[in-house]
Amino acid sequence: MRIPRKLEVWRMGTMNYLQALKLQEKLASDRKACKISDTLLALQHPPTYTLGKRRTDHNLLVSEDELKTMGAELHYTQRGGDITYHGPSQAILYPIISLRDIGLGARNYVEKLELTMINLASIYGVQARPGRKCQTGVWVGEGKIGAIGVRISSGITSHGLAFNINPDLNYFKHIVPCGIADKEVTSLKREAKSELPPEEVIEEQLISSFAQLFNYDNVEWKDNGSAL
Amino acid sequence: MALRVWASSAANALRLSSAPPFPLSRCFSTVLDGLKYATSHEWVKHEGSVATIGITEHAQDHLGEVVFVELPEPGGAVTQASGFGAVESVKATSDVNSPISGEIVEVNTKLTETPGLINSSPYENGWMIKVKPSNPSELESLMGPKEYTKFCEEEDAAH
Repeated sequence: MRIPRKLEVWRMGTMNYLQALKLQEKLASDRKACKISDTLLALQHPPTYTLGKRRTDHNLLVSEDELKTMGAELHYTQRGGDITYHGPSQAILYPIISLRDIGLGARNYVEKLELTMINLASIYGVQARPGRKCQTGVWVGEGKIGAIGVRISSGITSHGLAFNINPDLNYFKHIVPCGIADKEVTSLKREAKSELPPEEVIEEQLISSFAQLFNYDNVEWKDNGSAL
Repeated sequence: MALRVWASSAANALRLSSAPPFPLSRCFSTVLDGLKYATSHEWVKHEGSVATIGITEHAQDHLGEVVFVELPEPGGAVTQASGFGAVESVKATSDVNSPISGEIVEVNTKLTETPGLINSSPYENGWMIKVKPSNPSELESLMGPKEYTKFCEEEDAAH
């Protein structure tokens, strides 16, 4: 008999990047020790630029001081992927799940993360597609609407995906987003023909899209207060 | 019609199928004799006083195209089941664990320029580190080729 798979969803609201990173590290360690079930953090960050393990800071087009003046933070991380921007009105999911339990490798996991965002976009009549070779992420035409950067350690995932609902796209002008020079960034607000519901609704749909694609039998929802 | 018959016999000769019911890689991942395997999909080849370590064909297939490899310095130590480096593919960094404990005596510097060696030649040119084992009995706790093949099949069947 197949053991029912449970996902615990923590909706954190807006959370500082380092705080979210510390929380992910704790959850990943607990998950590795089988103390907790698969957990999904759903949140947004204040304006933050992050770099991946390859530290491609040649793709940051302004100095760190200028970033501070803008009110943005910069962080170096262990995730895959290039430089990116996170900020208000961008829905972020950080799944802390065991890939070994479901027999997924990095490639299939990332494909499912792409599909999570593609399926969400389709709810609003937006036809998104996965990236072509070396362009992992989710695209609408030649505009990138969703980014992915993941870390897998002992088969446990951290970091995840970022989906542009309606962030201030000007922040992307200060970087070469994901190291891809000649492409645009876009958002659900730009691409959808109809009016969008409140962001909490879109976040919930994104979470449900994830839970469905990863075949969870039970989803337990915890809000900020009760989770910590 | 003739063209189709020709194409299908060509496909048979090349052992391709037009519409596999599941990814070919699940059936045709190479597992080599003479190596030992860890559950985290690394292999180790013990020859005399040195053991060579890399990741398996199954692992490279599940990772996708490797674009970056992070390796330790020679002279450092590795511990069984602990991470010694990482590979990046499809925007995911995956830690690589050592199947055995010991001292790193050599590191494959070719992987810096050509990380794709891990995909094209995971058991030969894509080797990652060479280690002087500190506890050779650890090798006994690892899987042999048949056991590892079964392990991969079970893991893939999980989803």
